[in-house]
Amino acid sequence: MNKVILKNVRPFVQGSFQPLTTMNLVDGRWVGESIEGAIEIEGNGALALPALFALGLDFQEPLRDDIYTFQNGYTAMRRGGFYGGLYESSVNPIDDVQKLSAIQQIFSKSGFQLSILGSFSKSYKCEQLAEMLELASCGVSGFGDGNHLNATTRFLRLAMEYGAMSSKRFFFLPLDLSLRSAGCVHEGDVADVLGMKGIPRIAETIVVHTILETALFLKVPIHLKQITCAESLNLIEQARARGLDVTCDVGLYHLLFDEQVLFDLDSHFNLIPPLRSPQDKQALWDGLKRGVVDAISCNHTPVLRQEKEVNFEDAVAGAISLEVALPAIWSTLVDHVGERRALDLLSFNPAKIACAGLQKMEKRSNIDLVLLDPREPSVVSPKILSGAVQNTPLLNNQIPSAIKGSYIQGLWTQV
Amino acid sequence: MSTLQIKHLFGLRGVSQSDIRTILDTAMDFRQVLERPVKKVPSLRGVTVVNLFFENSTRTRTSFELAEKRLSADTINFTTSSSSVKKGETLLDTLRNIEAMKIDLVVVRHKGTGVPKFLADHSKAIIVNAGDGAHEHPTQALLDMLTIEQHLGSLKNKRIAIIGDIRHSRVARSNLWGLTTMGAHVTLCAPSTLAPRNREFFNSVHFEQDVRKAVHEADAVIALRLQKERTDDSLLPSMREYRNFFGITRDVLEQASPSALIMHPGPINRGVELDSEMADSDQSVILEQVTNGVAVRMAVLFLLSGGRASE
Repeated sequence: MNKVILKNVRPFVQGSFQPLTTMNLVDGRWVGESIEGAIEIEGNGALALPALFALGLDFQEPLRDDIYTFQNGYTAMRRGGFYGGLYESSVNPIDDVQKLSAIQQIFSKSGFQLSILGSFSKSYKCEQLAEMLELASCGVSGFGDGNHLNATTRFLRLAMEYGAMSSKRFFFLPLDLSLRSAGCVHEGDVADVLGMKGIPRIAETIVVHTILETALFLKVPIHLKQITCAESLNLIEQARARGLDVTCDVGLYHLLFDEQVLFDLDSHFNLIPPLRSPQDKQALWDGLKRGVVDAISCNHTPVLRQEKEVNFEDAVAGAISLEVALPAIWSTLVDHVGERRALDLLSFNPAKIACAGLQKMEKRSNIDLVLLDPREPSVVSPKILSGAVQNTPLLNNQIPSAIKGSYIQGLWTQV
Repeated sequence: MSTLQIKHLFGLRGVSQSDIRTILDTAMDFRQVLERPVKKVPSLRGVTVVNLFFENSTRTRTSFELAEKRLSADTINFTTSSSSVKKGETLLDTLRNIEAMKIDLVVVRHKGTGVPKFLADHSKAIIVNAGDGAHEHPTQALLDMLTIEQHLGSLKNKRIAIIGDIRHSRVARSNLWGLTTMGAHVTLCAPSTLAPRNREFFNSVHFEQDVRKAVHEADAVIALRLQKERTDDSLLPSMREYRNFFGITRDVLEQASPSALIMHPGPINRGVELDSEMADSDQSVILEQVTNGVAVRMAVLFLLSGGRASE
């Protein structure tokens, strides 16, 4: 249905939510005149937010299309109110133009604004450079490591030095693999009590420091993904003060949870990087408030049920988040940083980081929006999750808000 | 009538314009000799030259050897594959042994930067650098300059683009010092992993990352050989990408002056740094470079041995 009337909604226009109004939507445009033959949605005061942009999209295609397909991913994006995202596969490195072209062809039919990260090394092995100039000229938004950085410092330097010719941003999940070793939780009190191998903060901060120093030396723009502790945020602030173009994000679940939840040994909380201490979680919220953190990332990672329904340490790490991110965090986020900054963190800044187009809510222009009732709690039931996966720590839990639907690329999706 | 201010030829950095002028003018004279039916002069009769090559070389060693023979010098070839160096002899001992044979002039190639200077510091012989590490290859640059002058007249204000692995190229270094001393405008172009990292010393040249901009209105384009090892060493992703972004193709060369010279120190990786179509075109002067190499080396050997330019 491409004609929709949203009644009694509060659209976000020019930096704030407007009083209750009716929005007439036709073929992806917010039109001024009245329309006929449209479906009518009673908003009951719901917020009409600009649609969101997801950092950290991975649909596990094509190697695991038994558990998740691109179509599943698109459905999740509509249900969660995302108009676009930055795609980086952990299993299928985009390291040549043929692979890029193939995935661009798939995405071009989706209607979503999907930016793509190219790999900076062949097969993520960090032994040989990928053809970054070709990839850049064919449209990648930046270069990444597929979340498994195992480069020597020399290779890291050469990759950034070579890739700098493209002026593209480099994306890193800062985690020292040797310090991580077999760790699967934060190296802290809880790990000691449970007797599990931990991942220390320095596994992150050492790599953050190395990447920042290398980027400063080479003057390469970088993005650091899923920062988990105050020490890393401090390093990022210092690098910015020294003139580096560095952006960073924090993961959705790292803002919602800390290591205390691990006492239940629920394998849905097996995430990399790990959930850290309550003090670390608080530091991330402080980072959001004082502007060090640029974005909240989704890190949408489908994991097969049988790979999650095992003991904690043997579970595959990762969580899906597209369907639940907004209703799970909106109210708390607005309480901490206000509405405008909340949208910066969930929509505008992620799109800028991925070099994608930004959402703008204006009459007589194209819009993508998500309708959210911030005061209506909802339960994350399996039926709202797309694909043959359910790996979210919020499964069957109540969250503070509810998405009523989304209108993306002219298509209304009722949730 | 003039001799050179330099006593040895280590490189072109710091060599005066008048010395370079003298070498090029003398080389031009020897170029005439090479066109004669009898291509030999007695200028270095009684002079013994050792070609001391610690690195593999065919073109440069052959060119020097031919130059020495054309000048009637006595020539000895000393290569690592057939020498006592393989048996563990030090560089200094090798030099002392050779010097004990009463030689006059040493032409040396070595992988280490500064070896010619080291030899000169420990020997009475005249030293000519035939390539030391990635430092300098002065006779290659001189023959490049001679070739450009032959076609374009004076080097002054000529636009010369050097494209390729600048960081590891002794040819590029010697060329940029020599060409700028003679008043040419030099533009260097390389992938960032193959470009000099610190450029304070290179303030007399222009750096450009876009090959089309680098060759824009150039009077001569020098393509450098790309070593396969650069991809193995993670400095480049592939020869294919290098060719697509830094190779000299017809499309690229259209940005240069219509009569721009195409040059290459050889051996060429056809289809990598230089397309065959360009290498074999009327604008290519690559084989003339080879001929001029003999004339330039004759001039260098002759002048350093005390010959006067007018003789």
